[in-house]
Amino acid sequence: MRRSFVNTESIVVLAGAIFLIVVLPCLNAFTAPQSWLHVSDFTINLYGKYLCYAMLAISVDLLWGYTGLLSLGQALFFSLGGYMMGMYLMRMIGSLGQYREPIPDFLVFLGWSNLPAIWKPFNSFAFAMMMAVLLPGGLAAVFGFLAFRSRIRGVYFAILTQALTYAACLLFFRNSLLMGGNNGFTDFKFIVGYNLNLSATQRGLYICSAVALLFVYLLCKWMTSTKFGKIQRAIRDSETRVLFSGYSTAHFKLFVFVLASLIASLGGVLYVPQVGIINPSEMAPDHSLEAVVWVAVGGRGTLIGPILGAILVNGLKSWATRAYPDMWLLFLGALFIFVTLFMPSGIIGLPGQVRALKKKIQDRGRPAPPSDLTGAAPLPQPVPANSAAAPGRNASKPG
Amino acid sequence: MKKHFLKATALVSVLGLALQVPAQDTVKVGVLHSLSGTMAISETSLRDMLLFAFDQINDSGGIQVGGKSYKIDPVVVDGASNWPLFAEKAKELLEQDHVAVVFGCWTSVSRKSVLPVFEKDNGLLFYPVQFEGEEQSRNVVYTAEAVNQQAIPAVDYLLDQGIKKFYLLGTDYVYPRTTNLILYKYLLLHGIAPADIGGGFVKNDSGQVISAGKYVPFSYTDFQQIVADIKQFAAGGDACVINTINGDSNVPFFKEIVAAGLTPDECPVVSFSLAEDELRSIPTKNLVGELGCWSYFMSLKTPENKDFLGKWNGWLKSENYPGVVKEHRVVDSPMELSYDGAYLWKEAVEKAGSFDVDAVRKALDSGDISFNGPSGKITVQPDQYTTKNVYIGTTLANGQFEIVKQFPQVVGQPWMLKSLDAQLQAKGM
Amino acid sequence: MKFKLLFGALPAFLTVFLAVRAASAAPSAAGESASGTNVIRQELVQAILGGGGQRQALLDKIADSGSGVAAGILSAWTMQEVYLYAAPDGSTIPVTLESQQDAAGTSRAIRIDDGGFLKDASGKELRFGQSDLNAAYTNIRLRRQIQQALDTLALSAADPQARRAAAVKLGYSQKPGYVPILERRLAKERDPAVKKAIHVAIATLQLGGPSAAVQMAAVNELAALKSVGSLDTLTRLAANANNNPQLENRVKAAINSIQEHIRWVQFYGTLFHGISVGSVLLVVALGLAITFGLMGVINMAHGEMIAVGAYTTYVIQNLFGSGFAFSITLPFSIGGKAIAFGLNLPGLNASGWFYQSYFLFAIPLSFLSAALAGLLLERAIIQFLYRRPLESLLATWGVSLALQQIFRMVFGANNVQVSSPNWLLGHFSLDDVSLDYNRVFVVAFAIVIVLGTWILLSKTPLGLLIRAVMQNRDMAGCMGVRTGRVNMLTFAFGSGLAGLAGAFLSQIGNVGPSLGQTYIVDSFMTVVVGGVGNIAGTVYSALGIGTADQVLQQLTGSPVTGKIVSLVAIILFLQWKPGGLFAMRSRSLD
Repeated sequence: MRRSFVNTESIVVLAGAIFLIVVLPCLNAFTAPQSWLHVSDFTINLYGKYLCYAMLAISVDLLWGYTGLLSLGQALFFSLGGYMMGMYLMRMIGSLGQYREPIPDFLVFLGWSNLPAIWKPFNSFAFAMMMAVLLPGGLAAVFGFLAFRSRIRGVYFAILTQALTYAACLLFFRNSLLMGGNNGFTDFKFIVGYNLNLSATQRGLYICSAVALLFVYLLCKWMTSTKFGKIQRAIRDSETRVLFSGYSTAHFKLFVFVLASLIASLGGVLYVPQVGIINPSEMAPDHSLEAVVWVAVGGRGTLIGPILGAILVNGLKSWATRAYPDMWLLFLGALFIFVTLFMPSGIIGLPGQVRALKKKIQDRGRPAPPSDLTGAAPLPQPVPANSAAAPGRNASKPG
Repeated sequence: MKKHFLKATALVSVLGLALQVPAQDTVKVGVLHSLSGTMAISETSLRDMLLFAFDQINDSGGIQVGGKSYKIDPVVVDGASNWPLFAEKAKELLEQDHVAVVFGCWTSVSRKSVLPVFEKDNGLLFYPVQFEGEEQSRNVVYTAEAVNQQAIPAVDYLLDQGIKKFYLLGTDYVYPRTTNLILYKYLLLHGIAPADIGGGFVKNDSGQVISAGKYVPFSYTDFQQIVADIKQFAAGGDACVINTINGDSNVPFFKEIVAAGLTPDECPVVSFSLAEDELRSIPTKNLVGELGCWSYFMSLKTPENKDFLGKWNGWLKSENYPGVVKEHRVVDSPMELSYDGAYLWKEAVEKAGSFDVDAVRKALDSGDISFNGPSGKITVQPDQYTTKNVYIGTTLANGQFEIVKQFPQVVGQPWMLKSLDAQLQAKGM
Repeated sequence: MKFKLLFGALPAFLTVFLAVRAASAAPSAAGESASGTNVIRQELVQAILGGGGQRQALLDKIADSGSGVAAGILSAWTMQEVYLYAAPDGSTIPVTLESQQDAAGTSRAIRIDDGGFLKDASGKELRFGQSDLNAAYTNIRLRRQIQQALDTLALSAADPQARRAAAVKLGYSQKPGYVPILERRLAKERDPAVKKAIHVAIATLQLGGPSAAVQMAAVNELAALKSVGSLDTLTRLAANANNNPQLENRVKAAINSIQEHIRWVQFYGTLFHGISVGSVLLVVALGLAITFGLMGVINMAHGEMIAVGAYTTYVIQNLFGSGFAFSITLPFSIGGKAIAFGLNLPGLNASGWFYQSYFLFAIPLSFLSAALAGLLLERAIIQFLYRRPLESLLATWGVSLALQQIFRMVFGANNVQVSSPNWLLGHFSLDDVSLDYNRVFVVAFAIVIVLGTWILLSKTPLGLLIRAVMQNRDMAGCMGVRTGRVNMLTFAFGSGLAGLAGAFLSQIGNVGPSLGQTYIVDSFMTVVVGGVGNIAGTVYSALGIGTADQVLQQLTGSPVTGKIVSLVAIILFLQWKPGGLFAMRSRSLD
C-alpha cells in the first residue's frame, strides 16, 4: 500500500511538473490568442503567483506537518525575500520614476537627494540574492536559536512567531525605515536587463517559479525520506522521547526552521517581480494564517497537499472576488470550517476517507473491530498537532 | 446596420475580444474597489455611487458612439484591501474582460500597485480620492483633489482667521507625509515659525527638514497621549490641528478629543480624510464647528445638487444590487467625484467617437471635457488633473457641513513640493 | 429643581441647549426684566445681521449684560443653529428652530427679535426643515468673539467647571480690558480651582503691561501658579524683554519652573494612560483568557465576539432612538427574482436621561448576545475540536471571516455611530493631569469584571466544575461531571466577556466589521505573557504591557516605535520565562 502510494505520487508529480513547466508556457507562447488552446499572459502570471504561494505553503508544512511546529510567521520570511528582490528592482528603475531622478521616488519625497548607504549595494543582483538568503535565514537562526533553547513549543511558538511578524509589519510600515512605508515598492521596470512588461519576461519568471517549486519539492521529498526526516517526524509525535533517546531536538528544529525560512524567501523572491508590488501588509499576521489554511486544505504532512491547497484556495479567491464580490468571504470561511471538521487530512486524504467510509458501510452490522482501526486509518498523518499544542493537557493521550 | 454589425464582429475577433454579450450595444466598464478588508468601510460607497451613475446613464439612452447607443455593463471586482490582489484584478479587467475604462482605487498604495498594469496594457483609470499629487500618469485621470485643492485652501482660510499655531497629525503613509511636508513649507513661506508647527520634525544629515508632524499607524486606537500633547500645544490659544489621519482611526481620535474637552473654539481640527460618509460613524453632536475641506459637500444648496440627491435617494429605494445598503446613506466628495468621473468619461468617449483609450485620452487632453456636476463645473486639464470648485465647511450636529467659504475653479497642480522648494529658495529660506 | 423650573419657563427650543449648559444660564435668567431682554434681543439681531467692528462692540455689550436669553441664542449661533429667514418684504429675520419636529422633519421658527413664533402675512405659523434655511454666518474669528461673550456670561455661572473654563479663556484673550471683570468675580469667588484660574487669567493679561512692575508681579504669580497655558505668552515675553535683563531672568526662571511642572504632569499622565490602556487590554483579553487560556481553544473569532457586543450596543442605542432597520439582497436569484430580506424594529424615541441610560441596558445585553453567539459556536463547531486545539485555530478563523462578512451585510461596510452617554463624556483634572471619565470608567469596569470572573471561578459550584473539567476533561467526565455542558457554558461565558469588552470599546473607538481584527493579536499576546490558564497572570500582563506601551511611546515620541519595542520585549521576555508570568505547573510530559 505504502509503495503504491509513492508510485502514484511520483507519477502525479511528473505529470504535474511537465504540465506546469512545459505545457502551459508552450500554450502561452506558441498558440494564437484566439485559439481555444491558448493560455493568456494573465493566466500565466496568475499561476506564477500561485506557485510562489505554493512554496510558502511547503515551508509552513515542513514545520507544521513534518515537525509539529506551527509557525504563524512564515509570511515574514516570504516578504523579506520579496523585499530584497524589491530593493534590487527599485534600483533597476533608474531614472524612469515619476521624478526622473536616479533614486527611488519615495526617497525623493522623503527629502533625500542621494542614495542612503543601505541601498547602495542593491545595484547588484547577486548581492540582493545573497541578502535574500542571509536576512531571512539569519533572522530565523537567531529567533529559532532563542526559542528552541528555551523549549518554546506548541501554542507559544505559534503566538511568538505571530508577534515577530506583527512587529516586523509595524516596523516596515514606518516610512523612517526607508523601505517605502505603506506603499512599499512598485512600478518595477527591469530585471537583469529584461523588460518586466514583456510577456516573454513574465513567462520566463513563471518557468523559474515552476522549476524552483519542483526543486523545493524534490529537496523536501529527499530530506523527509532520510533518517533526518524520521527524526523530524519523531519530534512531531513525541519530542520528549526523542530527547530521551539522546538526540538534541533543538538543533534539528533549528535546522528545519532555517530551511523553511529559506524556502519561503525563495517564494517571495520570485513573487515580487510577477505581482509587481511588495509592501508591509504582506507581513500582516493574517497572511501567515492564510498559508496555514492552504496547507490544511491541501493536506498536511504531505508535500503535494500544500501545493494543491495553495493553488486551489487562491484560485477560488481569484474567482470569487470577481463572481461574488460581496459574499466570497462567507464561502471562504465556510470552506475552512468544513475542511477542519470533515476533512482532517485535507484533499490528499479524501480518497482515504472515501475508502474508510466504504469499508464502514460494508462492515455495517458486523461488530466493529477493536481500536486498531485508528492505527490502520489510511490518513497519511493522523492528527499530530495536539501533542505539541496543548500545554499541560491531553496527558491521557495514548502515545 | 447589418454591415456595421459585421464590421464590429470582425473587429472583435481580430482584437481577440471574447465578449459574450452582443458587442454592438454594451460596453464593459470596470469597477475596482475594496468591498472587504479594512478599506471596505470607505470604498464600498464608491461602488454604490458608480452603479447609480451607470444606471442613470443607461436609463437616459446610454453612450452615443458612431450613431449608436451603448449601454454600460459594469464588471465589479473586489480588491479586498489586498494590494497584490488589486494588481491582479486590474490585469484581469484589462486583459481578460477588455474593459474600456476602470473606475477605482482609494489608497495611494492601491493606485501605485495598479499603475504599472495600466501603463503596460494602456488602460484608463479614473481616480476619485484626495491624494498627495506628485504623480502624473498618462493612464490615470485624477478627478481627485490634489493638495492645492484641499490642504492649501484650508490653510489659507485658517491663516486668514488668525490661527498662529499648527499641529500636524496623520497616519504614516505617503499622503499625510507629503501633504504635511508641503504644508510645512507653505507655512514657512507665510511667516509661521517652525516652533509654532507642532508634532515634531525629522531632519536629514544636512539639517534639512524631511518630515513634519506626528504619525500613527493604520487602525491606531489610542490617542490619549497625542491629545494630551495637543492640549499642551494649544494651551496658549490660537492653535489648530491639521488632521490627515486616514479613515477609521478618526473615530477614536475624535472620541478622545471630545472626552478631553478640546472644543472647536479653543482649537479647531481641520480634517482632510473625513467626509460625510466617515462622519456617520462619529457622534457629531459634540463636534460642531470642526472644519473640513472638499470639492463637494452634501449640503450644497444648488439646484443641480438637490436634483442629484433626489435621484440618488430614488435609486436607493428601487435598486436591488447585492451588497448595496439602503439605510442611512449620505453622499460625500469621493462619491461625487466618482459620479463626475463616469460622466466625464462618457463626454470624452462621445467626443472621441470611440471607446479606444488613445482616442478617449486625446479628447480628455483637449481641455474641453467638462461636466456640470452637483458640485459645479469640473473640467479635465491637459495634464489629466481636474479643475473644480473647493469648499470649506464646518461640521454640524447632524453630520453635515455648513459651507463657510468657496474657492471657485481651482486648477489642480501635480508637483507642489518642487514649486514650494523653488519659492523658499527664492526667498532665501 | 432649578432645571425643572427652567424647563417650563423658557421656550422649548432652549431645552437641548439647557441640558448641556443648564447651570450656566440659570442664575442670571431669574432676575431679567422684560424690557431689558428686549433691548438685548435687538442687539443680538444687529450683531447677527451686522458685520465687522460693530459686531465686536455689540457682543461686548451683550456680554456685560449677563442675560441668560443672550447666552442661549449666542450658543445656538455657534452651533450654526441660528437661521436667516428671507421675508417676502426683502428684510432678513434671524430665527432659531424649535427642537420639536413634526413627521416631515420641520419645526416652528422662533424670532430672535421678540421671542415669538415666525408667522406669515396671514398670521399662520411657518414651519421649516433644517436644510430649508441658511444658517447665520460664522467663521473661526467670529466664533471666538461669540465664545468670549459667552465666557464672560459664564463667569457668573453656577457650575464651577464652567466658571473655570471661562476664566481660562478670558486669560488668553490678550485684552487687558477683562482684568476688572475678572477682579470683580475674584472678590465673590469661593471655589479654590476657579480662584486659581482667575488668578492665572489676570496675571496672563497683566503680562502685557501696563508697567514693568506689573509685568514682574505677573511673572512671579504665574511661576508660583505653575500655569501651563501661559508658557507661550511667557516665551514670547522672554524673546521681547531683552531691554530689561531683570525681567528677562525672572521670565526664564518662570519658564523653567513651569516646564519642570509639565514633566511631572506628563509623568503622572503617562502612568494613568498606561493603566487605562492596560485596563482596555484586560477587558479585551479576559474572555480569551477563558476560551484560550483555560479551555485551550485557539479562538480566532474572539475579536468577532467583541464586535458582536459592540454591535449589540449600537442596536440598543438605536432602539432607544429612532429604531433599527436593515435589508440584505443576496447575489442569487430564484426564478429571476432576487432574494431579499430585512428587518425593521421601531424605536422608543427616548430622550433626556432615559436615552442617556441606554448604555446601562446595553452592557448586560452585549454580554448575553455574545454569550449566545459563543454558545452556538461551541455547539456547532468547537465541541468537535477539543482534541485538536491547533485546528480550532483554522475553524474559528473561518468563523471570523464569515462573521465579518455578515456584519458587512447587516450593518453596512461603514463603521456605525455609537455616541457616548453624557455621563461618560468629559474629564476632570487633578493638578493639570486630565482624567477622562470613560478611561476612569474602564478601570472600574475592568476591576468589576475581573472580580466577577474570580468569584464565579473560585467561589461557586459551577466554577468548581469548570476548573475540574479544564484541568482534566476525561477525569472530570469519569467523576460524573457533564463535561459537554460545562464546556458549553464556559465557552459562552468567555464569549460573553468579549461582548462586554465590545460594549465598552464602542465608547472609545470604532464600531465596524473589522473591529475585532484590531484587538486579536494584542489579546493573544496578553494571555500568553500572563501564562496560559491563569487569570491573575492575564491581569498583571495586561497592566504591564499597557504601561510599558505608554511609557515607551512617551520616551520615543512615536506611537509605533513604542508598540514595536514592546512586542520585541514580549518575545524576549518569553525566552526568559517560556510559560509566561505564571506558568501552569504540570507533571505531564507533552
